[in-house]
Amino acid sequence: MNTVACSRNCEELKTNMSTLEIQNLHVAIGDTEILNGVDLTLHSGEIHAMMGPNGSGKSTLSYVIAGHPHYEVTQGDILLDGESILDMEADERARTGIFLAFQYPVSIPGVSVANFLRTAVSNVRGYTSKESAAKDNGVIGSNLMPMRDFRRELNTKMKEFNVDSSFARRYLNDGFSGGEKKRTEVLQMAMLEPKFAILDESDSGLDIDALRVVADGINKLATQDRGFLLITHYQRILNFVKPDYVSIFFGGRIVKTGGPEVALMLEERGYKWVEEELVAGAVPV
Amino acid sequence: MIEATAGFSQETVRLASEAKNEPDWMLDFRLRAWQHFESMPWPEPTDEDWRRTRLTGFKLDNYAPYSTPNGAANRQDLDPVLLEALDEMDSAASLIYQDGGLLYRQESDSLAGQGVIFTDLQTAVQQHPEFVQRYFMTEAVSPDANKFTALHAALWDTGSFIFVPRNTAVTLPLQAILNQGDGVGGYHHTLLVAEEGAEVTVVDDLMGAENAFQASVVELIVKDNAQVRYINLQDFQHTAWNFLTGRAVLGKDTDLRWIQVSWGSRLTKAFLDLDLQGQGGHGELLGLYFPTRRQHIDHQTLQLHRVPNCFSDLLFNGALKHRARSVYMGIIKVLPGAQKTDAFQRNGNLILDRSARSDSIPGLEIEADDVRCTHAATAAQVEDEYVFYLMARGLTRPQAERMIVQGFLQGVLDRVPVESVMHKLEKVISRKISR
Repeated sequence: MNTVACSRNCEELKTNMSTLEIQNLHVAIGDTEILNGVDLTLHSGEIHAMMGPNGSGKSTLSYVIAGHPHYEVTQGDILLDGESILDMEADERARTGIFLAFQYPVSIPGVSVANFLRTAVSNVRGYTSKESAAKDNGVIGSNLMPMRDFRRELNTKMKEFNVDSSFARRYLNDGFSGGEKKRTEVLQMAMLEPKFAILDESDSGLDIDALRVVADGINKLATQDRGFLLITHYQRILNFVKPDYVSIFFGGRIVKTGGPEVALMLEERGYKWVEEELVAGAVPV
Repeated sequence: MIEATAGFSQETVRLASEAKNEPDWMLDFRLRAWQHFESMPWPEPTDEDWRRTRLTGFKLDNYAPYSTPNGAANRQDLDPVLLEALDEMDSAASLIYQDGGLLYRQESDSLAGQGVIFTDLQTAVQQHPEFVQRYFMTEAVSPDANKFTALHAALWDTGSFIFVPRNTAVTLPLQAILNQGDGVGGYHHTLLVAEEGAEVTVVDDLMGAENAFQASVVELIVKDNAQVRYINLQDFQHTAWNFLTGRAVLGKDTDLRWIQVSWGSRLTKAFLDLDLQGQGGHGELLGLYFPTRRQHIDHQTLQLHRVPNCFSDLLFNGALKHRARSVYMGIIKVLPGAQKTDAFQRNGNLILDRSARSDSIPGLEIEADDVRCTHAATAAQVEDEYVFYLMARGLTRPQAERMIVQGFLQGVLDRVPVESVMHKLEKVISRKISR
């Protein structure tokens, strides 16, 4: 989908179009280089699947885009609509429209899904202005989205994304099954309405029914004004979510990008093929 | 280590009693207590109870022995802090104490009509001597329980007497506010008698005490089938030394929930006991603390099961910041014959800074063979991964930290029976995290 299909509201759509550019990104923890020059451009309306073996650095890439403080960017840049986001803290990136669905969402006992999400949504949608957040240290309860509006929207979206309404009161990811955690991640994405969503192995550990529910959620959210980076180890989820591009990630960088056929090729030939055909002759990593 | 000087003497006790025009029996009570105080040694670091909480730097002669009350005030003359404390809670009646005496009283008429007594203890000595003689430091906490209860018994000043007659329910909470003065010893007392089938909620709201010390006593007498909710909300200045001894005595089929909140003071040593004396008693002892800077908070609890078929549940959760220190010591004691005892004891600590330290020493002493008793202690740190997860969803770092801490304390907050008190606690948690 290189060109966006727009009919009547073409002009309006264009103003909602965004670009996430990753340029020659090198990332290290201590002396260990994990990403070795990643280049990737993602536009609104695109689904870009990134496939790679375990330990290839896929999760690191997702963490770095979201702003995890443990990683050091040694070279390169990440731009959202031309502006570098590297100096932004994770929460600022979330407010500019970056969303990361975690492979392993953490459980936080005592914090209810609704309470947490209302604060998150209020920040991301600007109910808590930056000034007041700084002044009151972001006091919970100041400038929150009105409870009624929030409740109504949450209830609607819980139905839409197959999350039982009892989850609003439950503690965040506490005692959730793998599938419940991933569905709750999709629900959060639906509430936060990001410009770009990075899904880190949202398909891992799911049985086929749970996978279908998560994939349905992603498809519902895959609108023209939103881009997806779908990180996965297996081709399986791509049976349900159709990517525009597929990249193969290996040794901390992208070694091949193409259409959906790349995923099928990978499925057929395995990562061994990648190593032998695509990485051979390249700089050893 | 610590010498009582001229400021604290038998003569001081006489003068304090005289200033209140007390009857002879109370003077005698005080003088006997003073003898206990003089004969008891000061706590030593070698005492098990005081091994982790030292009195280094505490000297009685740094303080005036007692305050002189300034009489009552009108509502419009109240300090804004007191007004706020008064107004933030919807109460059936409120008493405010300051400078060793009653400052202000506000009550609805219906209480007296129900036969409920809610008055300052000094008035109770004059007007209800039979109750005071019967219950004051006789059934729950005795004057010689420890050095500080002896001092308290000799010099007690402020405090409330609460009497709820048989089968009477007080729906709104009864509120007592203490604003202790600076540089002086304070001895606040709470004496609650809930008769058979009575229901009441009492909130003690303690503040002030700049460069002062407080030796308080709480006595809750809960008779058969009575239901009591008690909240002790201690938010003294961080220069105060605070010593609290409290005990609830539970009759048959009683239902007690005691919530102990220890926010303030430079040092707190609190002895809190549940004494289950009647079958079918149900006692909950819940604690919250959040020391910051160099605060030192020590809770020592006893769940004493004397008879069969009682339930007790203890949950103390605390967060620690900066170089703060907390100590929790607790015993579940099941006496011979107290079969079918069901008792829990949990203490959790969330450490926000590496320099903070928490010690947790839970314990069981069980002399019956058909019981279920469990205890657990945990110490955890705020994980960076938790903070990152919440921040990646748009929460600021302070919001994320506050949410994690509040979540950790939620297990106790959820059980606070008065909504306005819960909101007040949440505000203090926010304040402490931001600081």
